[in-house]
Amino acid sequence: MTRLRLEGVTRRFGGLVAVDDVSFDVPAEGVTAVIGPNGAGKTTLFNLISGFLPPSAGRITFEGRDITGRPPAEIAAGGLVRTFQLVKLFEDLSVLDNVKVGCHLRGKAGLFAALLRPASARREEQAVEARSRELLAFAGLAAMADEPASALPYGRQRMLELARAMAAGPRLILLDEPAAGLNTEESAALSRIIRRIAEDGTSVLLIEHDMTLVMNTADRVVVVDFGRKIAQGTPAQVRADPAVIAAYLGTGKPSADKPAVQEAPHG
Amino acid sequence: MADWSYIPQVLVSGLGIGCVYGLIGIGFCVIYNASGIVNFAQGAFVMLGGMITHVLFARNGVPLPLAALIAIAAVAALGVAIERVVVRPLWNRKATMFVMILATLAAQIVVERLTLIAVGDQPKTLPVFTDRPPLMIGPVAIGYQLIWIVGGSLAIVAALAAFFGLTRTGKAMRACSINREAAALQGIPVSRMLALAFALSAALGAIAGILITPTQYTAFNVGVPFAISGFIAAIVGGFGRPFGAFLGGLLLGLLQALAIVGFGAGLKNVAALSVLLLFLFIRPSGILGAAK
Amino acid sequence: MTISPSITSPERRPVRLVGLLPWLFAAVVVGYAMVVGGYAATVVSFALIYAVFVTGLNLFMGFAAQVSFGQNAFAAIGGYLSAVLTASHGWAPVPAMLLGIAAAVLVAAIVGFPTLRLKGHYLAMGTLAIGLITYEITVEWQSVTQGYMGISGIPPFGIGPYEVTSDRGQLILLSLVVAACAFAAARIRRSRFGRALSAVAGSEEAAMALGIEVARYKLLAFLLSAGFAALAGSLFVHVVGFVSPEVFGLHMVIVTFTMLYVGGIGTVAGPLVGALIVSLLPETFRAFKDYQDLAYGAVLIVLLIYAPRGLASLFSPRGRS
Repeated sequence: MTRLRLEGVTRRFGGLVAVDDVSFDVPAEGVTAVIGPNGAGKTTLFNLISGFLPPSAGRITFEGRDITGRPPAEIAAGGLVRTFQLVKLFEDLSVLDNVKVGCHLRGKAGLFAALLRPASARREEQAVEARSRELLAFAGLAAMADEPASALPYGRQRMLELARAMAAGPRLILLDEPAAGLNTEESAALSRIIRRIAEDGTSVLLIEHDMTLVMNTADRVVVVDFGRKIAQGTPAQVRADPAVIAAYLGTGKPSADKPAVQEAPHG
Repeated sequence: MADWSYIPQVLVSGLGIGCVYGLIGIGFCVIYNASGIVNFAQGAFVMLGGMITHVLFARNGVPLPLAALIAIAAVAALGVAIERVVVRPLWNRKATMFVMILATLAAQIVVERLTLIAVGDQPKTLPVFTDRPPLMIGPVAIGYQLIWIVGGSLAIVAALAAFFGLTRTGKAMRACSINREAAALQGIPVSRMLALAFALSAALGAIAGILITPTQYTAFNVGVPFAISGFIAAIVGGFGRPFGAFLGGLLLGLLQALAIVGFGAGLKNVAALSVLLLFLFIRPSGILGAAK
Repeated sequence: MTISPSITSPERRPVRLVGLLPWLFAAVVVGYAMVVGGYAATVVSFALIYAVFVTGLNLFMGFAAQVSFGQNAFAAIGGYLSAVLTASHGWAPVPAMLLGIAAAVLVAAIVGFPTLRLKGHYLAMGTLAIGLITYEITVEWQSVTQGYMGISGIPPFGIGPYEVTSDRGQLILLSLVVAACAFAAARIRRSRFGRALSAVAGSEEAAMALGIEVARYKLLAFLLSAGFAALAGSLFVHVVGFVSPEVFGLHMVIVTFTMLYVGGIGTVAGPLVGALIVSLLPETFRAFKDYQDLAYGAVLIVLLIYAPRGLASLFSPRGRS
């Protein structure tokens, strides 16, 4: 079964074509990775899928429904949730509350429920609390539940963002360079967690520079370069693909392709 | 109730006030371009320009041109003081834009109240610079003060154009507005540029205040309405474009003059503010498109 | 097995008690005013009315981290509607107040749609303009508002024949209203709705990515804040018996921001503490009215630079880094 389908997705910025006629399918099972040299258009691709940018052309369907150019909140509500390359936590909130915000889509209590706290709202709140603690335990953050999110070390912040995204109960989760800035040990732990997420039935689509992570974690790899898809297949197939090798030779060995300069946040 | 035969006359006076709004609008742009800060204390400069000149001239007998020069210098110094005492500490602490706006608005109130304590709440005015009967062009009377306002404003706009286009400092300020980090790497002292921007902007405000005061009056609380009109001028012209702001000021002045004919003087501020909201909602980038 | 969080870590207990300090402070001040009555009661009554307004301001600015310099417009709508309906048309205060709140929320909805799309200084100036337009209208629409003269003879609160006219009666009434407002703010803070506002404050992009409709929550916080402002405006006119445009002018904007920052933006107790301190301080100086706004402006600048989280954040159970 296909969870996400991209057909001829294109995005231009002025004269620059950041994403050029990209098509691929993300099946429901397992982990799919998008790799490519820096500036290949991977993050733009994610922004197109998650609704943060409208595509200039092409069609994106999620579970058969057309989500092309829909607003991000609506796409998230449909079951497609993303994380960010530069972690975006709610820094003033506690670790636990961050995950509780992630549960937003699973609740429906509004302003009046907040003020009057009827029994249904109290039950909902208990469920949110329980699920959030469960996810914190899953991400290895249970002991830090009451810390402010900004106090976490970087690696833990990434885990928290992942837990928060999972709290929304997505059927497809987009991870934008989840291993960026993690050490080898943390990266290995992340790999295990991503496998577990996939085994529990959530499809995973990730962008990654860390080739070790991709090779150990992904079931399928899509390679993009200069905004175009240049290869697709299992990690082993992709590694042997001459086009991929050529693309990477320009920017160094794949395993050494850690981003030296982060793309500066705009503005 | 409106007597439309007054329209040419009304437009002429609208042109005068429009020049003043334009100068204030340029003041907003100069600081915004150097720092990304919107200085809500801009009105204090306008008010003080007229007020200090009045105090020197009427109370201490200083000749008017000298009084005006001293006032401009004093207000420029105040601009630097606000930059040092209020803006710089917040800037160093990476305060949010909103906090910066609130702090400069608070500085405006402080200046306003100090003025109230110093000179009281009675409106003050200045004599016209050239005391002669107005020129008559057909049915339209053109007062000499209007000529001073329009001529003075145009001279200042020209001087600014020369400053930004020709001098090293002016070019450095423009470089800051394009990219502060790159400017700093080029060895441009960005923080000194910020102080200079405040001085320049304050002087512009003071000049605007001195030019307009003879045709109306100044009092401790005239600053905020002037600042808002100047801000509207800047928005209409495309925020961050100094000469767009001047154009925006002219448009606003004319429009306000027409609004006075149409709806009476009481609603002139409502008319101006409605123009602001209209632009904010429909075309926030102004008629020329916002800078950057 | 679950352990109640309050007993998991012993060091949390003193924190809880410190959290009560602001409320204790407020209770002592109100209690004192109740006993002394007279002028002290008047000053504290005004402070409590401001506390209602600032509580609403805090929902929008503290919880959701949005900017409005124009909330005084909604206080004016609430206040003037109450005044005109009761003094000129013989309505009872409570329905007049409810209508005033409804009208303010309606106006907030109409202006909020286009305004809240604005960002940064555009939003700041847009909201300031809305406040000023409302002020000008209260000055110019003389047939209804009587311009600068203002409207007097506004009846005090009451239901049927029972009117709250005594200082102490008004203090009790206002204390109840403030308590209800603070209770509402506290409940909102710890709810799905409040968490969504915090998310909007923290990162709009992250909030969107989690399915939170950012524009909708901003608008709701704005409406809520306008409702509180209108309630405060209406309380004011019925307690004082008089209203004029100056009541809801730029002075109100600066005073309420000072209160918000003195008390601590984003906290539940902050608005009340800030309103009390800022109202009482000038009085303890026996001060001259001329210096008041000067002092507010100066204090606000110093706070923004040196204590941007305000005083109540010192007592806040969740330490900020």
